[in-house]
Amino acid sequence: MSETLAAHAEPMRRGTQVPAEAITQKSLNDDVLRMISKPGKIWWAVLTLDLIILTLGLIAERNQIVHGIGSAGHTRPVMWASYIVNFVFWVGIAHCGTLVSAILFLFRSHFRRAVYRVAEAMTVFGVLTAGLFPLLHTGRPWFGYWLVPYPNQRNLWPNVRSPLEWDVFAVTTYLTISSIFFIVGIIPDAAVARDRAKHPVMKLILTIFSFGWTGSNHQWKHFYGAYLYFAALATPLVLSVHSVVSWDFAMAQIPGWHSTIFAPYFVAGAIFSGVAMVINLLIPIRKTFKLEHIVTLDHMEKLSKLVLLTSTIVAYSYLVEFFCAWYGPSKFERDMFWWRATGHFNWGFWIMFTCNAILPLSLWFKPVRRNMPVLFVLCLFVNVGMWFERFVIMTGLARSFMPSMWDINYRMSWTEAAILAGSFAWFFLFFLIFVRLLPAFSIAEIKETLPPPMRGRKAGAHA
Amino acid sequence: MKPLYDLIEKLLKGPPAKYRGVMGIYYFVDDAAGAVRVLRQMGHKQMSVFSPVPHHDIERALEQGPSLVRWVTAVGGFLGATGGFALCFYSVTSYPLVVGGKELISLPPFVVLGYESMILCAGISNLLGMLALARLPQVKTKAPYDPRFTEDRIGIWVPCTGDEAEKVKETLRGHGAEEVHVHA
Repeated sequence: MSETLAAHAEPMRRGTQVPAEAITQKSLNDDVLRMISKPGKIWWAVLTLDLIILTLGLIAERNQIVHGIGSAGHTRPVMWASYIVNFVFWVGIAHCGTLVSAILFLFRSHFRRAVYRVAEAMTVFGVLTAGLFPLLHTGRPWFGYWLVPYPNQRNLWPNVRSPLEWDVFAVTTYLTISSIFFIVGIIPDAAVARDRAKHPVMKLILTIFSFGWTGSNHQWKHFYGAYLYFAALATPLVLSVHSVVSWDFAMAQIPGWHSTIFAPYFVAGAIFSGVAMVINLLIPIRKTFKLEHIVTLDHMEKLSKLVLLTSTIVAYSYLVEFFCAWYGPSKFERDMFWWRATGHFNWGFWIMFTCNAILPLSLWFKPVRRNMPVLFVLCLFVNVGMWFERFVIMTGLARSFMPSMWDINYRMSWTEAAILAGSFAWFFLFFLIFVRLLPAFSIAEIKETLPPPMRGRKAGAHA
Repeated sequence: MKPLYDLIEKLLKGPPAKYRGVMGIYYFVDDAAGAVRVLRQMGHKQMSVFSPVPHHDIERALEQGPSLVRWVTAVGGFLGATGGFALCFYSVTSYPLVVGGKELISLPPFVVLGYESMILCAGISNLLGMLALARLPQVKTKAPYDPRFTEDRIGIWVPCTGDEAEKVKETLRGHGAEEVHVHA
């Protein structure tokens, strides 16, 4: 039969996504499953470094619990300090996965198939990281369940008219739906890995993740029936979640925050940073595991075009905010924006503007979009810029209505810095385990782009 | 660790299953679709087709309707939205606390919670609906399973016995099956 296979192993052809070498259904299995073979020295070294940083973050959190929330740099009036910055940053990172897996699925953008699993994993781990910060910020994270409405003898309920409570609903819904979407999508691929696993423990883990999948016509029918609805539900959800997050700020009558542009501006910013992070993850993965023929330069270029598109929306929002402040009637608003660009934290503003609005303009040039080292560095800058975007919004509290409060004394404490570093370690810990445990690329969906083997008529790729 | 590994392997293998029917294994999609069409004409409507990816040719030959999971999702969404709004109404009226002089029952903020609850319950019911309809998690397979079905082969399983099995075997062979296994 190997002759038959060779005869029908045609290269993948779909628009411009022609990989350099032929991919067959078997070679695709082998290439993707190679990732979950025994980890090498580099993986262990990265994991060790990750655990050291995570330990540092845990020590900082322990200090914060023992000595109180004051050990973070919270200072009146900047009481939210960097925890809200980190929360919004990680929720933003989490947005790309659903965009790639759900929105592009509904729009039938086939390039998503090669990259969406990594993006979805990033989404789930991003929300798991984001969810830490409201809990850490309470100072007593073990009372986190107070955020959730539940019947109690004092008949106390959270304030359902507060944007902070909306956030609880939005973020928990997002975590639940994106986790379901992620786990459901993995089922057929976990079955592929299960059928080829040799170690009994791996086989057991993969059997659990595959739910006993056999690929029968009944299973495929209900799987894709449900998948479509997951995508249809996740699409409005992803738009609503970051809108709700933006309303944490926009519902408050604080200069620089009380703006209707916040929701679309935050959603675009979230997708911007999320896609940049996906690129940052995909470039080393495709290089390390030699998967350049599966995640091609064309795929990376399409993602970088998304970065460019969302960058222009974000840059437009920055400019519109200034225009509205200048054109509008509020002198407090005008003062706030002038202060942002020239005041105490102006360096944060200019880092944000440079990284998010100026540097991504280089993506207009094709050689930049297809140069992986340059794209990697550029996306790192985008993520730095997007963290600073939230920093700039948060530090606006230091310039409130009362001049008596303009004594700027917010400084990030080492506790906050260590917890921020620990959050990255927490995120990458999940990711490192994921790439070694489950198929990081959707084998089934990539197979659908291959021409199906036909005896009687010329093979054509699936729609 | 060996006894543990042996135990896991034994657990995964499960008790020996008895199947009655014929399994045909195909490489070419059009061959498999042709076999499905003929077998359906012969009256075998209860067959199962295993494949690494869904193929439109085979779906058409099987004349499968759309999945019913959408109704489960719709009911879940409706209940979620109702529950979300009900929670808001109940929580503000059971402990009336006026904040900022605003109405206790303020619909615009309730929409956010009602909407998120709708999506949450619709998503969960979508998952449960899919698992129930696709009979997942599947501990025991209803047909002899071959790991090649997750690689590049298509399996057609027709439950039948006796003379019927012989006819099915011939039909599968006649439509280009690489292998045909009769389980009696």
